[in-house]
Amino acid sequence: MLEHVVNGLVLGGTYALVAMGLTIQYGIARIMNLSFGDTIIAACFATYVLFTSLSISPILALLILVPSGYALSNVVYRVIMKPLVARAPDEGALEVDSILVTFGLLFVIQGILLYLFGGGYTSYSFFNTPINVLGTVVAGNRLLALVLSLMIGAALVIILFRTRWGMILRAVALAPKSAPLFGIDTDRAARTAFAIGGAIAATGGVVISMFQTFTATAGVVFTMKALIVVILGGKGSVPGAIVAGLLLGLVETFVAAYVDPGLTLAAVYTVFLLLLLVRPNGIFGKA
Amino acid sequence: MLELKNMTVRYGKHLAVDAVGFGLTKGEVVVVLGANGAGKSSMLKAIAGMIPVADGSVTLDGDLLTGVPAHQVTNRGIALVPEGRGVVGRMTVEENLRLGATPSRARASEDETIAQVFDIFPRLAERRRQFVHTMSGGEQQMVAVGRAMMSKPDFLLLDEPSLGLAPIVVGDLFKALARVRETGVGLLIVEQNVKISLRHADRGYLLEAGRITGSGTSEELMNDAAVRHAFLGGDI
Ligand SMILES: Nc1ncnc2c1ncn2[C@@H]1O[C@H](COP(=O)(O)OP(=O)(O)OP(=O)(O)O)[C@@H](O)[C@H]1O
Ligand SMILES: [Mg+2]
Repeated sequence: MLEHVVNGLVLGGTYALVAMGLTIQYGIARIMNLSFGDTIIAACFATYVLFTSLSISPILALLILVPSGYALSNVVYRVIMKPLVARAPDEGALEVDSILVTFGLLFVIQGILLYLFGGGYTSYSFFNTPINVLGTVVAGNRLLALVLSLMIGAALVIILFRTRWGMILRAVALAPKSAPLFGIDTDRAARTAFAIGGAIAATGGVVISMFQTFTATAGVVFTMKALIVVILGGKGSVPGAIVAGLLLGLVETFVAAYVDPGLTLAAVYTVFLLLLLVRPNGIFGKA
Repeated sequence: MLELKNMTVRYGKHLAVDAVGFGLTKGEVVVVLGANGAGKSSMLKAIAGMIPVADGSVTLDGDLLTGVPAHQVTNRGIALVPEGRGVVGRMTVEENLRLGATPSRARASEDETIAQVFDIFPRLAERRRQFVHTMSGGEQQMVAVGRAMMSKPDFLLLDEPSLGLAPIVVGDLFKALARVRETGVGLLIVEQNVKISLRHADRGYLLEAGRITGSGTSEELMNDAAVRHAFLGGDI
């Protein structure tokens, strides 16, 4: 029982983390990024390569891949997204355009990964030491993943809610039309938000690769789960993403343990639909 | 000095502001009176860089403002309190005010300015932790003006500040604006509430269908037949 709670939190912690990235991109940059999961998988493979061929530990890989995720997403925003933003007559149009374009980007990233690594399951063994947590044994890498997710998630919440920088980003999310009157450069804020999302996707990829096998085509599953978490939590809500992410991780783990591993996705959708019936705008969503 | 020369704003073919020209110095209060659809909001938004100027120019102390993006216009010293107030409802009073000090020109004096805002609007000091969307219309308008003051403007543009407020609240608001003016800020107010705005302004203009059709000191306008006819319901 306790073992499942810990495993559920590990999984849920990573869901919460990556969903925060997606919700920041959507809430502030107004871009619904369907290639988000593929960015995560790209980071999984990058970690794998760094670890297996250069013996760089995943912890160190974070220091390389997180800034890379930020920088690459920044470039993607400037080159691909900015023209969409510039020509979109309103937010609705930008949402539709961004969905179409990132859908294409998804296949580009996936194609490159398939070309480089093939379609098989990939994993590596890192910090597999069993660790005793309150009487149950958990793999060290899982525990580390949980700790990293929590730390990075907490850092993000502090940045968003306790710094001027975060205040500016939140203002753009809450009042995009008025933000320029406050002297805020909304274009820069959107670019920053998209890049932070990319950095979080990279973080998620590193963390997930430490304890899970992955394939070049698994990105879409991550995008879907992150989307569910974002919608469940309330679009644009960071606290909502955390709660919904943990919930989803626990549901998946318990269903896999006590019902049937094949039913995890079905269970996730059931919870999703039931919660949306009760709270159409998500757990923390506002009407 | 803030100066408009033949400033024109178009929405497609529709001419919303038609070759408007006038100037405003610091410490002065100027009101532009106009009925619904006269082009008041379009004029202010164009000055603030929120919508493009199709023709003519806006200059601040001789420097061209036309074509400068809105967030940079704010940093040059022009603050707009727009229609609908432009506050962030789901943030607190203090967050809105501190956010107002985002332009680099305002950063160094942020704490000083916030003290000044609280001095003019003591209610905001009491409610600093309250979410703005839970406040009354009058209080929200105080937040809006306070937020604009936080950017240390030379000129403050106000789009119908009296809209939707009870007469007594409007009176208090204009008294507060008089104190803002005393700090040396120039005020450009567009209004339909003729009596109160002329009482607090030095001079004014009439805007009809995007054109300036009249001007004068507040006293002259108050006694002007056209103003009386258009806004005060004939000969009161
Ligand atoms: N975004 C827009 N697209 C097209 N036409 C517009 C737009 N905004 C305003 N207009 C038109 O421009 C003219 C001036 O509008 P504006 O909002 O500037 O008037 P206003 O004097 O502020 O009116 P009100 O007192 O109702 O606020 C109106 O005829 C209006 O219909
Ligand atoms: Mg208007």
